[in-house]
Amino acid sequence: MPTRRPAAALALAAGLVVIAGGTTGLLLTRHSTPAMHPVAAGVAALPAPTGPIVAPPQSAAPKPVAAPVSLTIPLIGVRTNLMTLGLASDGELQVPLLSMASVAGWYTGSPRPGSIGSAIIVGHIDTTRGPAVFYRLNTLTSGDKIYVKRADGTVVEFRVTSVQTYLKDHFPTEDVYGPVPDPELRLITCGGAWDPATHHFLSNIVVYATEVG
Amino acid sequence: MKFWSVSTRRLLMLLATSALLLGIPAAATAFAGSATSGTGWIRLAHLSPNTPAVDVYMYSFDDSKAMIVLHHVAYGTVSPYESVRAGDYSVAMRAAGASATSQPVLSTSVTIAAGHAYTVAGMGPESGLRLQVMDDALTTPTGQALVRVIQASLKQQEVKVTLGSTVLSNSLKFASVSAYQAVTPGAVSVTVSAVSAGAGDANSSVTLAAGTVHTLVVLDGASGLEVVSLEDASGSGKPPLGGVQTGFGGTAAHGPGSPVPWLVVIGAGSLLALTGGLRLRRNRQLTVRI
Repeated sequence: MPTRRPAAALALAAGLVVIAGGTTGLLLTRHSTPAMHPVAAGVAALPAPTGPIVAPPQSAAPKPVAAPVSLTIPLIGVRTNLMTLGLASDGELQVPLLSMASVAGWYTGSPRPGSIGSAIIVGHIDTTRGPAVFYRLNTLTSGDKIYVKRADGTVVEFRVTSVQTYLKDHFPTEDVYGPVPDPELRLITCGGAWDPATHHFLSNIVVYATEVG
Repeated sequence: MKFWSVSTRRLLMLLATSALLLGIPAAATAFAGSATSGTGWIRLAHLSPNTPAVDVYMYSFDDSKAMIVLHHVAYGTVSPYESVRAGDYSVAMRAAGASATSQPVLSTSVTIAAGHAYTVAGMGPESGLRLQVMDDALTTPTGQALVRVIQASLKQQEVKVTLGSTVLSNSLKFASVSAYQAVTPGAVSVTVSAVSAGAGDANSSVTLAAGTVHTLVVLDGASGLEVVSLEDASGSGKPPLGGVQTGFGGTAAHGPGSPVPWLVVIGAGSLLALTGGLRLRRNRQLTVRI
């Protein structure tokens, strides 16, 4: 049966090629991808936004403030519009979609920035490929300035008081979302180790800031 | 203190005195902060109806230089909260315009704990004026608002305070403070009426959002009662559950991917090659026989 010989030889050759391909693929994917780290702050510092700085109200009944529309953190090059975020059906805070990872969002269930209470703004640390809007958030330190522009054109200035990293399993809900008696801001993003099983970071970074009055 | 020897006490006094003489500005200014940075909050109020305006001073413990001075604080005034480092402070009241070094009309000490808020108010009639330290709430039951009432009307010694259909107090006496009450959020009307007839009701409306703390202050107005609503603190009425998923992992460290798919490919290739090889060998044997 000599006609069978080419088929068998072909199978042998194809098998060897597949083995070679498989081995190459295996060897090429044996390395780890290192974590990217934000470079020290100070790069391309943005100028502070223009607009009147609004001092906190001194009267007993403070005037209501306008909704926030944009966020600027000159030291880490953040300048973003603010989208609005609510709660997901599971009770967790909504986050911007992957396609909107360059935009931060204000949680509409929190006070407006500049009014009494703890206003919440969240943003992604990264996309599936690289840095996102809050990539450098954890390089902020006490005293750094944050500006929020509001729908009426006024700008409210905040100063960082503390930067904390919390395991998500031990997230301090009361400290972050609980009532406070002065105008404060909390910026939230992810940090810490990446869990490939859940495709989530294990920690949250929270920047606490208070209005400069 | 009683355990300290005389010499230790003398040494401490000497140190304290020299610190004052050298003008070491220990905590000389109020600074912004929050619970996570070891700070608390304080606000000052004048709620004594027949006491003239005062200057209110706040000192850090053992520091003769005032860190907060509020000039000409009149009856009915409540300051915004100031953020201060946790610790011991004293609050003093002097007649408006009196020298900062004069003997205060009255003073009190207050210990500020990190993450806590306090109201220090001049209360009572002028003849029995006192400084009262109130511990202000900063947590609300989930989905609710907290309200309390300070009764600072001297003309109407007892008042009834209702919030919508909820009675906050049937008979709140002058210079007293009600306990906090948890209420359902919403816009509601506030009514304050004198328990003994003689004065008209004071009406107001207040919007109570979930996760907010409010103080209603009952005052003697130009004619009859007045009520002032203060929003003391505010947070997220519906706090999100747990942490926030704000990353897709593009900047995270990744381990090598699973080798299984490649091993399957190699296995399949081996099988194919083996089959081909065996066939080839059998064919050769057949060829030899023929």
